Amino acid sequence: MASGIGLVGLLLLTSINYQYYKYLSKFVYILSLALLISVLILGSVKRGTKGWFDFGFISFQPVEIAKIMFILALSAFLDLKAKEVKKWYFLLSAFTILTGHLILIMIQPDFSSTLSYFPVTLILLFIIGVNQFYLGCIVVLGGFAIGIPLAKTFLNTQMKFLESEIVHTNILNFLQTDWGEFYIIAAILVLIIGIWWFFWKLRIKIPIVYTIVLCAAIIIGCLASISVEKSLKDYQRKRLVAFLNPKVDSRGSGYNIIQSKIAIGSGKFMGKGFKKGTQTQLGFLPEQHTDFIFSVIGEEGGWILSQLTLLLYFLFIWRALVIAKESRDRYGSLVATGLATMFTFYVVINVGMAMGMMPVTGMPLPILSYGGSSIFSSLCAIGILCSIRMRRHTYVK
Amino acid sequence: MVWQREDKSAYENFLEKHKAILVFFMFLFVCLSIRLFYFQIIKGNKYRDISEQQRIHNTHERAPRGIIYSADNLPFAENKFTYVALYHPYERHLRPSEQIIQELNKILGREIKPTVDKNWRYGRVIKLADNLSMEEMFKLQEKKLSLKGVAVAKEPSRVYCFPEVISHIIGYTSEVRSDEIDNLAEHGYKMGDYIGRGGIEQTYDQYLQGKDGGWQIEVNARGYQVKAFKYIAPEVGASVYSTVDLKLQQVAYDALNNSDTGLGAAVVLDAKTGAVKALASCPGFDINTVGNREFSKYLKDKRLPLFNRALQALYPPGSIFKIITFAAAVDILNIDPSETVECTGSFELGDRHYVCWNKLGHGKMDIISATARSCNIYFYQLGLRLGVRNLEKYAKKFCLGQKTGIDLPNEKTGFVPNPEWKKTKMKMPWLQGDTVIFSIGQGALWSTPLQMAYMMSVVANKGVHRKPYIVDRVVDSGDNEVYKHELELVDELKLSDSSWTLLHKALLETVENGTGRRCKLPGIKVAGKTGTAQNPQGKDHAWFVSYAPADNPELVMAIIVEHGGGGGINAITSSGLSAGA
Repeated sequence: MASGIGLVGLLLLTSINYQYYKYLSKFVYILSLALLISVLILGSVKRGTKGWFDFGFISFQPVEIAKIMFILALSAFLDLKAKEVKKWYFLLSAFTILTGHLILIMIQPDFSSTLSYFPVTLILLFIIGVNQFYLGCIVVLGGFAIGIPLAKTFLNTQMKFLESEIVHTNILNFLQTDWGEFYIIAAILVLIIGIWWFFWKLRIKIPIVYTIVLCAAIIIGCLASISVEKSLKDYQRKRLVAFLNPKVDSRGSGYNIIQSKIAIGSGKFMGKGFKKGTQTQLGFLPEQHTDFIFSVIGEEGGWILSQLTLLLYFLFIWRALVIAKESRDRYGSLVATGLATMFTFYVVINVGMAMGMMPVTGMPLPILSYGGSSIFSSLCAIGILCSIRMRRHTYVK
Repeated sequence: MVWQREDKSAYENFLEKHKAILVFFMFLFVCLSIRLFYFQIIKGNKYRDISEQQRIHNTHERAPRGIIYSADNLPFAENKFTYVALYHPYERHLRPSEQIIQELNKILGREIKPTVDKNWRYGRVIKLADNLSMEEMFKLQEKKLSLKGVAVAKEPSRVYCFPEVISHIIGYTSEVRSDEIDNLAEHGYKMGDYIGRGGIEQTYDQYLQGKDGGWQIEVNARGYQVKAFKYIAPEVGASVYSTVDLKLQQVAYDALNNSDTGLGAAVVLDAKTGAVKALASCPGFDINTVGNREFSKYLKDKRLPLFNRALQALYPPGSIFKIITFAAAVDILNIDPSETVECTGSFELGDRHYVCWNKLGHGKMDIISATARSCNIYFYQLGLRLGVRNLEKYAKKFCLGQKTGIDLPNEKTGFVPNPEWKKTKMKMPWLQGDTVIFSIGQGALWSTPLQMAYMMSVVANKGVHRKPYIVDRVVDSGDNEVYKHELELVDELKLSDSSWTLLHKALLETVENGTGRRCKLPGIKVAGKTGTAQNPQGKDHAWFVSYAPADNPELVMAIIVEHGGGGGINAITSSGLSAGA
């Protein structure tokens, strides 16, 4: 059903010249905001997230399509202002565009979808030529904002696990206090300034502004972490860190990861055969049609099929990047790269999650995962890619 | 190719970044592939095992233990089968739901409280109710669909046919304790298994244990059965054929039970082979009550019914030891049977006085009459002439102070004193007086009834040691003999034939005309020796050891009645015994 609609969308979008989006970029952006706002008003709640339009016979998640619209809008903005890339307000306005989406999605709240915005934005900014140091600072900022609450949760769960080991608990106890946290951050700041000073003495001149920006990024990140900590519920935090040591909570947040690992590992070289996976068929593996679809492939198809799947995904993304390279204008390149990044992010997070390398977030595996909105938006994205490819030799007068 | 309406430099700038991104993405995919390879190819076997393990459950059906038979093929220990209601707890449901319990209570009319204790291990079932009647069993089977996770199974349990009489020979079974499991696990025991304790159940546990069977079932993630793979029928343990003669055992036990105090032990051995014909310790206990509340009364009983007196109680042998002094004297001193010693009823050694039990004195005694009348004075002097070293040597040659090696658990060693021991333990030198009382079996000499019977069998066999044994053979469920006792010559005590003849003559004389008169039986010639073991806590213990028939010994026996007074009191007991023979 969804793939049927998706195919129509694909053909439609292929036939439309992607350059129209550039001229209609403001409209596209407003439309995406309107979608996100309307889902907040009219949408229905599923699994604690108010993110679905329920039409009875089919339900639709507008975030999926909003992501693509965001890529179109951001690319248009970057393309337009490409000359002003060194200006201070450039970064700011780009992030304003991002924030509009983020806030609306956080209200739903849909944490995993907000995550997928960051890599796309960062990669697009990187391509357009924003100073890489500032991008690095943004990554650091984000890392601190999310990392601190997660690190705390992780230490917390570990502590319960390690009750007997006195040395560990002493260190952890120290870290648990508010001041312990403060000391560590202060130490990092001092270290950065110290290194800068050391280089200065060595006559390697690094402008002091970099140091200040980096320190500022860290401090802002720490401050932001407080709000992130509040917005994330305890079980969500636990789920995000469970992959580091699933045994700590093997019946709760670690269960999915353990079962998924067993499923993939037990597939061995040849797999157990179609519909013969015991993990899958006996229900040990949860969410096997959606988030953990890759585990099913791993178990029933073995290494051959799962490696082939990865290879196909890579080929697909590689093709998208080739399209970006051969596009006739900068806008096409930006859009294609953005879409390729989105797909990569999905695949890496989803497959990584199935193998216990990445936190468990509800990232679908593009095209394979069961879920209408995801398939529909993936097909739409492919439609746009085709449209860019088709028009690579079309010249504008 | 360049972007339209853009600088060439902008495009070249883009290409550079583009390449970086491509490399970055490639790196991510290589990481994923390496991880995938690690899981599926390198660690694949491990994960395959885990997935099999959590999919397959083995339900347990306990195998019945082997049957223990008496020498005349009467069963001592059998199995009865009862139906029990079990619950299979799996991952998420450790106990059945309230609804199921209510339904069960309605059907069975009982109050069921399912308990999961801390000993519970994954895959073990929880017993909801036992001793179900056939009717109840069928009712549960009918309601099988609504009672999810509840199963009815046949469970064997042990029954003993002559519980008190054979209690110490057979022993009992009980569940493996959690403090034992570490040692037992390497022999294949699991938590929840039953293990034999005491008696044949313990020594032959490895044969009696059957092979547990059960269903191998596939379960889904919620623990419910999806399908059953295969059923392995439990295999009954091997049958153990003991040498114990039930009739004799019964007579021995009853005789002890009817004696004045009802405390004592009796051991009857086959003179030729060492097979245990009877081994009674009184009072016994009802082995069928083990594990019941009733059992606790035995634990509190001052008469110590759980104590196997035949193997574990240590008594001074008293006058019975004169047999050993006799043998040593004949062997070493070459005593002339006509040589006499005057018994005046007392004996002076240094400044101490040793009396005979007959204060008036026995008059002139030769070695045979001294044995028959159990004259202490005569043996004091023999003892002094022999010296402590010889007494110790011969006591050990008759297996005192050593385990006989019978195939029953917890046998006591007993003790034979010597000067070194006295010096280190008591910090006193060995005195002549110690030798004197040693020669009539008092002092720090300790022995079990079994050891006395064994000593008597050595006498009856003219020095041939035959290890006592209680299990003749073990036959497994396929009718193969898996164990057979083989007669072995443990040791041999070499005395001249004339010495043995003299000893036998003396022992026969004891029963015919001496202290053992009351044990005389019509038709059978009995040879034996009475004894009195001095007991500081109360009346003396009464001993009687004998073999019969005197000219061609078939049975050897040793009896002790605690606080039985003079040796003659055993007469009733022994006559009964011999009648049994």
